[in-house]
Amino acid sequence: MAAGRFLDELIKRGISGFEVTVIGDERQGSYNRIMLSPVLAGETDVPAIIGKPSSWYRDQGIRFVSGVQVKAIERAQKCVLTTEGNRLRYDHLVLAVGSRPAKIPAENQQLDNIYSFRTLRDVDRLLNKARFHEMHGRKTDTDALVIGGGLLGLEAAYGLALKGLRVTLVHRSGWLLNRQLDPIAAGYLKRALEAKNIEFMLSDEVARFTGTHELKAAEFKSGKHLSCKLCVIATGITPNKELGLAAGLKGERGVAVNAFMATSDESISALGECVEFKGDTFGLVEPIWQQCTTLAERLCNNIKLPFENNPVPTKLKVSGVNLFSAGEFLTTDEHRELVYQDDKAGIYRKLLLRDNRIVGAVLIGDARDGQDYFSMLTEKKDVTEIAPFLLMGRAFYQTNEQPDSSDETEAA
Amino acid sequence: MNLPEKLIASDTVNTTCCYCGVGCGVTAAVADNQVVAVAGDNQHPANKGRLCIKGSSLHETQSSPDRLLSPMLHGKPVDWDTALDYGAAKFRDIIEQHGPDAVAFYLSGQLLTEDYYVANKLMKGFVGTANIDTNSRLCMASAVVAHKRAFGSDAVPGCYEDLEQTDVLIMVGSNTAYAHPVVYQRIAKAKEERPDMKIVVLDPRRTATCEIADIHLPLRPGTDAYFFNGLLTYLADHNGIDQDFVDTHTNGFDDSLAAARGQVPDITAAAHLCQLERADVEKVYQLFAQNDKVVTVFSQGVNQSSSGVDKGNALINCHLASGKIGKPGATPFSITGQPNAMGGREVGGLANQLAAHMGFDKPEDIHRVEQFWQAPNMARKEGLKAVDMFRAIEEGKIKAVWIMATNPAVTMPEAGRVRKALEKCDLVMVSDCIGNTDTAKLADLVLPATTWSEKHGTVTNSERCISLQKGFLNAPGEARHDWEIICQFAQKLGYGEHFSYSHQVDIFREHAALSGLDNNHSRGFNISALEEIDKKDYENFAPLRWPVTDQSPEGTDRLFTDGRFYTPDGRARFIPIEARLPVNTPAADQVILNTGRIRDQWHTMSRTGTAAKLLGHVDEPYIDIHPEDIERFGLIEGDLAVLANQGQRYFGRVKKSADQREGEVFVPMHWNGKYAASSCADALVNAVVDPICGQPEFKHSPVRISPFKQAWNGFLVCADDITPACEYWAKITLDGGYKFRLADGECPDNWASWVKNQFPHIDDWVDVCDSGQQFFRAAGFTGGRLQVVFSAATDKTSAREMRWLEQQLGQEIDANTRFAILAGIPGGGVEDEGAMVCSCYQVGQNTIAKAIKGGCASVEALGEKLKCGTNCGSCIPELKALLR
Repeated sequence: MAAGRFLDELIKRGISGFEVTVIGDERQGSYNRIMLSPVLAGETDVPAIIGKPSSWYRDQGIRFVSGVQVKAIERAQKCVLTTEGNRLRYDHLVLAVGSRPAKIPAENQQLDNIYSFRTLRDVDRLLNKARFHEMHGRKTDTDALVIGGGLLGLEAAYGLALKGLRVTLVHRSGWLLNRQLDPIAAGYLKRALEAKNIEFMLSDEVARFTGTHELKAAEFKSGKHLSCKLCVIATGITPNKELGLAAGLKGERGVAVNAFMATSDESISALGECVEFKGDTFGLVEPIWQQCTTLAERLCNNIKLPFENNPVPTKLKVSGVNLFSAGEFLTTDEHRELVYQDDKAGIYRKLLLRDNRIVGAVLIGDARDGQDYFSMLTEKKDVTEIAPFLLMGRAFYQTNEQPDSSDETEAA
Repeated sequence: MNLPEKLIASDTVNTTCCYCGVGCGVTAAVADNQVVAVAGDNQHPANKGRLCIKGSSLHETQSSPDRLLSPMLHGKPVDWDTALDYGAAKFRDIIEQHGPDAVAFYLSGQLLTEDYYVANKLMKGFVGTANIDTNSRLCMASAVVAHKRAFGSDAVPGCYEDLEQTDVLIMVGSNTAYAHPVVYQRIAKAKEERPDMKIVVLDPRRTATCEIADIHLPLRPGTDAYFFNGLLTYLADHNGIDQDFVDTHTNGFDDSLAAARGQVPDITAAAHLCQLERADVEKVYQLFAQNDKVVTVFSQGVNQSSSGVDKGNALINCHLASGKIGKPGATPFSITGQPNAMGGREVGGLANQLAAHMGFDKPEDIHRVEQFWQAPNMARKEGLKAVDMFRAIEEGKIKAVWIMATNPAVTMPEAGRVRKALEKCDLVMVSDCIGNTDTAKLADLVLPATTWSEKHGTVTNSERCISLQKGFLNAPGEARHDWEIICQFAQKLGYGEHFSYSHQVDIFREHAALSGLDNNHSRGFNISALEEIDKKDYENFAPLRWPVTDQSPEGTDRLFTDGRFYTPDGRARFIPIEARLPVNTPAADQVILNTGRIRDQWHTMSRTGTAAKLLGHVDEPYIDIHPEDIERFGLIEGDLAVLANQGQRYFGRVKKSADQREGEVFVPMHWNGKYAASSCADALVNAVVDPICGQPEFKHSPVRISPFKQAWNGFLVCADDITPACEYWAKITLDGGYKFRLADGECPDNWASWVKNQFPHIDDWVDVCDSGQQFFRAAGFTGGRLQVVFSAATDKTSAREMRWLEQQLGQEIDANTRFAILAGIPGGGVEDEGAMVCSCYQVGQNTIAKAIKGGCASVEALGEKLKCGTNCGSCIPELKALLR
């Protein structure tokens, strides 16, 4: 995904002077990974999410080597070695190798019908399995077990539930999306999902899977036991740092880059989920798009536009429920907390204030205005005057203040 | 005037308005036992087609949610027999054990003459006590005695035409613009047609009436009699005496002039005593002296005083001395407050009267009435007047009281004390059309009475004009006419044969007959020509000014045209007046409390308070106060302030008004426990009364004033009528419910539970909480329909009220509009974006559709313009779909 975006940025700046080769593991061209959940849910289909089919590369004069992995980088020779044993020379190498699903410490993960949720291939296998699950005929406590109450896990659970499966989601924390939401907001989300036939086991973990070849059941740390037909593990991602680090590039959690996306080797740059910048790794699109711009500017125009890892709000439609989370999200005694609650409509909006400035926003059910709150947060705007109207949305607080520049910024 | 369409289309009926003493004729359109529209009756002499806003809203105030539909004994509905048996047995027991003076009736100027007549007859002739008084004691008692002292009878000499025909109109303590709007309109029109006509207003306040005045004299409160004593001196010194008239038709001039001159020897003294500019006083004295046609209108500003009778006589003295009486455009003119205060006075339904302009001072009068009524237990002495009556209840001397059509727990001076007295009284009976007035709430037995448009009988207005208040709607539930209730009660007491009237006309005939009995021009009230009126004529009663006798069968416009008065020698009496200041003077930290009416409310609001329209002008209790006093007492305009006296508090919003004199505040008299937590003006009024007539000094009570230190304020808009758990609340009727303004000295622990506890039946809530406790808002719904909106704030800026919000009450509200409900405003200015398409940049479907219409033809173009689809790209398929 990051590679696809990076190509767009390159083309925008003109690549006539370059010879570009793209090597990719997956057979398809660049596709929008965020859209895997809608594909699983049947809300859209595979062709619709493929942004760059093979023909596109041809049309752009880009050499596209698909279905191939790079095994090693031979920095001294400025070569990469593919799994097929080919060596490809480079003048400048860009690593955009992404990440892979994080592992969980459960036993017997090698059993059949345990999937991750990362690639079109994962989705394809899940879809097949889901389509035929009835053929198994076996009575189980639940059809699908989904591990992980983060964004990915929720999306997977929702997609499977839409396919008609009985889904149970297991989450280690006491509440869903515990990196983005407070317990109350998570409660709203849970309620919305329960209404869509998803059951939850919170504060629990799978200790081991059971079965001989095929998955039969899962045993939990709490001692519970649940028979199931399939399992999706979606507990997070691990940067694919190994290729770079094996070649001697610096880095710990990922391949280390500076503000201009340069690795410790000046002929190699990196971006996306495989990198580490000032100790941080990346999983959301917004900063990665910025990395693409920074790198394209440097390589095409030799302009140094530093990448800044600014706070990024989480803005998503999780399983049909609009969500927004930015900045701090757990209320402490030091915050002034403003909360809007509409139980019936399933709407919860919380703003955390310090010194009458927004330092956090959590919205669920109705995520409009999130961007506005986020602007106020980054601008450290004093909201004393408009506080009573803030949570009702911009239609109300904007009529209660002088028009300011934030409006124009957004329109620009 | 043009009648509203509804009036032309439906059956119409002519009746009389039930509000003030002007007594306007009303044409009502009736359909399906409802009044659907009203207009002024073109033929009625009082208003000739005009109506004020209260009168023209009569059809909007007819169906009160609080209408009493059945007798209630200790809060439970009972049948009429049970109710009356209970009341009568109690009355009988108390009379047997403690004598007839242990019971009392307290009546009202809202009763019809026929109701009044039977109540008076029952008490004075059959129960055997004169403990029957009325709320007219609070408004007209001073004028009654002044009239009797000067004219020998309680009679207003002139008629409304005099107010139009005069050259100099002096209004003393009378804000006709608010209290008698149609009379005011007539005066304003006369002034417009004859701009030379001079209008003078004597009032400590610059009232709305001053709009048409040439001269306003803001005299020191209570100094009216000094002013008129000064005028009498001036008349004597400036050739203003009609010596012929004085010599031929009056007695006692010299003594009165001596008293006046001794106290107010000249203009300078008058100006000094009344705290007025000498030149202004002289100008008014000149106008009075140099014009033959002078009318002096007076009402509560004169009457509600510890020296009200003397004030009335001081001004009547001036008219007698200059012969300005009994002539077109020349008369003193007492204008009454209530629709039928006059009828009560004619009947004699007051403790110091007997019946039909007869009193207890003449044994032959008592004998005559006794014979006429065939009374077995004739009262022979005056009874207790209102203030003393409630004191006697407090002291346990009166053990049973029947209160009809009035609300003394609100309107009596020291109302808080009256409330306590009623709480411990053995038997409190109340008959009223509304079941939950502050007084009815204290009653053991509440009886449902008919009201305007149902009850049927005569009333008399300020100019002695009798007209029919017609019954043309069926009474709801078990409601009965007051006269019927009284007669049935009389029957339970064993006097049935003397109260066996079959129709109002029977009572009216008896009343007319008594008025003429042995009259011989000794008593002003005489309608003997009507003693055999047939039922048909009664039902079509054309308005008539009394006396109506064989000599004047068409009524009498003006009295005393021949210079003959109702005294034994036919001469009017001058009364020497030693003017006095009000009894209580304010301490350094006090202000003088003045009370009165506002334009759109009537009495204790039990009727007018139910119409949203009538709360549009003034919707909350307030305090008019001079700018200097605002400064002096540390008040803030628009904030709440508290007046305190008698251990009672009046909460009102501070209104800055240079129309007030410094050190004096004005508050409306209307608010009570049904409409506000603690804003009963009369509770602060000291029960100081005029020693002669017993009328309380409502216009002059020293009180303390301080800002209300509120911890929070807010408002509550709701469909149901509740009593908010709050130190200050004021209720405002809306078209679909109620609005409460709220304030309290302490914040509740939790606003959410504070409001939710008061609406336990609502479980669908949306709210906004602030952990900083600066504001809170909530809205409650039933079946998706808005039932409650609550907004609270610790500063006074953030709680806003919008008419739009009030209009949403009872409406179905979608999830999106719930934000607007809590904001209190429609989401004006920013368009509804429609369903969210681009979550990243919060771009909605409507916004996108608009951009497409505006020329964006591709996903890229939309992204360029709105940013949608340029972040995560999830919405691009939707954007494409919208582009197709």
